[in-house]
Amino acid sequence: MTDQQTAPRRARSASWRRLSSLRVRLIAVFAAVALVTAVSASGIAYWLNRDAVLKRAQNSALNDFRDSLTRNVGQLPLQPSCQDLKSLASQVASSGLAYDVVVVDDSVPECTASSDPAMFTARQIPAALAAAVNGPRETGPGNPYEYHLYWQRVNLAGPYLVGGTKVVPTGPTAYVFKSLQNERADLNTLGVSLAVATLLALVGSALLAQAASATVLRPVRRLGDAARRLGEGELDTRLDVEGNDELAELARTFNRTAESLSEQVAELSAREAQSRRFVADMSHELRTPLTAMTAVTDILEDEADALDPMIEPAVRIVVSETRRLSNLVENLMEVTRFDAGTAKLVADEVDMADLIMSCIDGRAWYDAVELDAPRGILAVVDPRRLDVVLANLIGNALKHGGSPVKVKVRQDDEAHTVVVSVSDGGPGIPEDVLPHVFDRFYKADKGRARSEGSGLGLSIAEANARIHGGDITAANNPDGAGAVFTLTLPLTQPPAPGPEEAR
Amino acid sequence: MTPVSFLLLIEDDDAIRTGLELALTRQGHRVAAAASGEDGLRLFKEQRPDLIVLDVMLPGIDGFEVCRRIRRTDQLPIILLTARSDDIDVVVGLESGADDYVVKPVQPRVLDARIRAVLRRGERESSDSSAYGGLVIDRSAMTVTKDGQDLQLTPTELRLLLELSRRPGQALSRQQLLRLVWEHDYLGDSRLVDACVQRLRAKVEDVPSAPTLIRTVRGVGYRLDPPA
Repeated sequence: MTDQQTAPRRARSASWRRLSSLRVRLIAVFAAVALVTAVSASGIAYWLNRDAVLKRAQNSALNDFRDSLTRNVGQLPLQPSCQDLKSLASQVASSGLAYDVVVVDDSVPECTASSDPAMFTARQIPAALAAAVNGPRETGPGNPYEYHLYWQRVNLAGPYLVGGTKVVPTGPTAYVFKSLQNERADLNTLGVSLAVATLLALVGSALLAQAASATVLRPVRRLGDAARRLGEGELDTRLDVEGNDELAELARTFNRTAESLSEQVAELSAREAQSRRFVADMSHELRTPLTAMTAVTDILEDEADALDPMIEPAVRIVVSETRRLSNLVENLMEVTRFDAGTAKLVADEVDMADLIMSCIDGRAWYDAVELDAPRGILAVVDPRRLDVVLANLIGNALKHGGSPVKVKVRQDDEAHTVVVSVSDGGPGIPEDVLPHVFDRFYKADKGRARSEGSGLGLSIAEANARIHGGDITAANNPDGAGAVFTLTLPLTQPPAPGPEEAR
Repeated sequence: MTPVSFLLLIEDDDAIRTGLELALTRQGHRVAAAASGEDGLRLFKEQRPDLIVLDVMLPGIDGFEVCRRIRRTDQLPIILLTARSDDIDVVVGLESGADDYVVKPVQPRVLDARIRAVLRRGERESSDSSAYGGLVIDRSAMTVTKDGQDLQLTPTELRLLLELSRRPGQALSRQQLLRLVWEHDYLGDSRLVDACVQRLRAKVEDVPSAPTLIRTVRGVGYRLDPPA
C-alpha cells in the first residue's frame, strides 16, 4: 500500500478516534439511558393521568346530567311543544355543573331546543352518537334497559364531551355538551412539566457522565502526561497513587516501570562514564612515556643521517611513529574532553582571514591552497580550536581531494554567521560514506588498515565547531568533482566566556 | 648565536627529565635538573639559573607552589609544563606567576623557541625613558620605578609594559600583544595576556582593581593611558 492511500485513511481513523473517545461514549450512553427512562416514565404518567382526569370529569358531568334529566323529565307533557323542550333543556342545564343541553324530538324537527342556541344545536351532534343513542338494544337478564346513555369526545372549537340519551323510549332525546377545556389545560401543563423533567434528566445525566468520565479520565490523562515526560527523559517522573482501584494499580505499575527504567539508565550511564574515564585516564597515562619519547625524537632524527644504513630506517620509523602516536593520543584526549563536556573555549576576537592565513602558513600549504577571504570579518572564536578545525578540513582536502583546494570565507549578515567552505578537486565522497565522514575511526576503505590520519580529525573538527555554536556539513560539489566541507560559525559567542574582565 | 643560557628543569618523571635534558642540552643550553619541587628550589638558590622549566604535577610541593615561592623573591622567567592546554592548570599556573606554558608531549624545538623568546624579553633596548605619572620606565637600564621605588618585574611583565608604552593611548589586541611579547604565532592563548596584565597591574597601579594606567578596552584589548 502506498502512502498516498494510507494518508486519508489515517485522517479518517483519527477523527473516528476523537468521536469514539471515552468521554463522548460515556456521555452518549448516559444520555441514552436517561432519555429512555425519562420518556417512558413521563409517557406512562401522562397517559394514566389523562385517563383519570378525563374519566372523573366526564363521569361527574354525565351523572349530573342523568340526575338532572331524571328530575326534570316528569314535567314534560306527552306531546311536548318546542317551548316545552326548550324549557327542559334550560332546566336540565341549570343544575350547577357548567354544561349545555340540547333536546331533540323527531315530532318537532325544526325546533332548536338548546340551553345555549348560539353555541350548540342538533347539527353538532355526531351522527354516530345519535345513531347509538336512538338505536334500542335488546333487553335481557344482563341488560334491563332498551336505551342507554352514550358519550363521545369531539372537537367543537375546543374539546367537548357530548353525551346523549332518550328521555323516554318514545319521546325526545337529550344531549349534553360539556367543555373539557380545563382538563385539556391541566393535561397540557402536566405534559410541559414532564417534558421539562425529561430535559432536566438529560442534562443531569450528561453532567453525571461528564463527572464520571472526569474521575476516570483525569488519572488516565495524568498517566499519559507522566508517560510522555518519562519518554522525554524525565526519569524521576512518578505518580501519586490513591485508592485501590484498577487505575491506582496501573499507576503503581507505571511507577515500578519508571523506577526500573531509571535504574537501568543510571547503570548504563555509570558504565559509560566509567569507560570514558578509562579512555581519559589511559590517554593521560600514555602521555608520560610519549613526552619522554618525543623529547628525544629530535635528537634521533638529527643523527639519523649519520647512522648505519641498516639502523637509520629503524630510527626513522621510531621517530615518525612516535609523532603519530603522540598525535593520536592528543586527539584521543581531545575527544574524551568533548565527551566529558570539559572542553572549554578560550575565545578572542580575531580576523578570519588572518586566522586562515596563519593556519595555511604554519603548515607550509600556501602553494596548494587558493584562499578567497576578505579582510575584516571579525569573529569571536577560540583561535587554537579553530586552527584545529581548519587544519583538519584543509589537510583532509589536500590528502583525499588534492589540489586545487579552495578556501572561501564569507559573512552571512542575516544569520549573523561566518561561513568557511573548503572544496577540493578530487573524486568527491561516495554517497554511502557521506553520512559517516564525521564518525570516529571511520575508514571509507575497509581494506586500508592504516591511514595517515588518526581517524579522529573530522570528528574533532565537528566537535570544535559545535562547541562554538556552529556546525560543519560535508557534501559533494553539485557542479563537478570534489567534496565541499562547509563550516558555519556564529560571529559572536552567546555565553561569551571570553577573556573579558570584570572591568 | 645567543650566549649559552642556564636552565633549571624541574620534572619528576625520570624519562621525561632525562629526555628533555638531552634535547635542551643539544639545543645549546646548559641544563640543571631536579626531580622534585624541594630539590628544584634548593638548586635554584644554589645555582641561580636564567630560566626555569617547571612541571606542574610534582610530588610534594607542586609546580604552582614552586612558582609562587620563586616569585616572592625573584623575577626570572618560568615556563610551565602542563598536561592540558585548556585546563584549569594553565590559569592557575599563569596566576601563580608563570611567563608561558607548553603542553606535554612537547617537541623540544617548540620548547626551545619558547625559551629563547622568553629570554629575549629581558634584553636591553637602546632608547630613552618615559614617565607615566609616578611610573618611570627606563628602557636603556630596563628598570621601572614607581614613585622612586624600583619595581620587580619579570621579563615578560617588563616587555608587556614596554610594548604598551611604545604606543601610549593606543589599544593593542590580545593577539597583537601575544605576537609582540610572547612571539607566539597567531594562535596564541589570550589567557597569557590577561594573566600577565593582572600581575602587571598589581605592581604598577595604585589600586589594582581600579586601574588608571593599563586600561581594558572592551572587545579590543588593552592600552596604556598617558598621564592625565
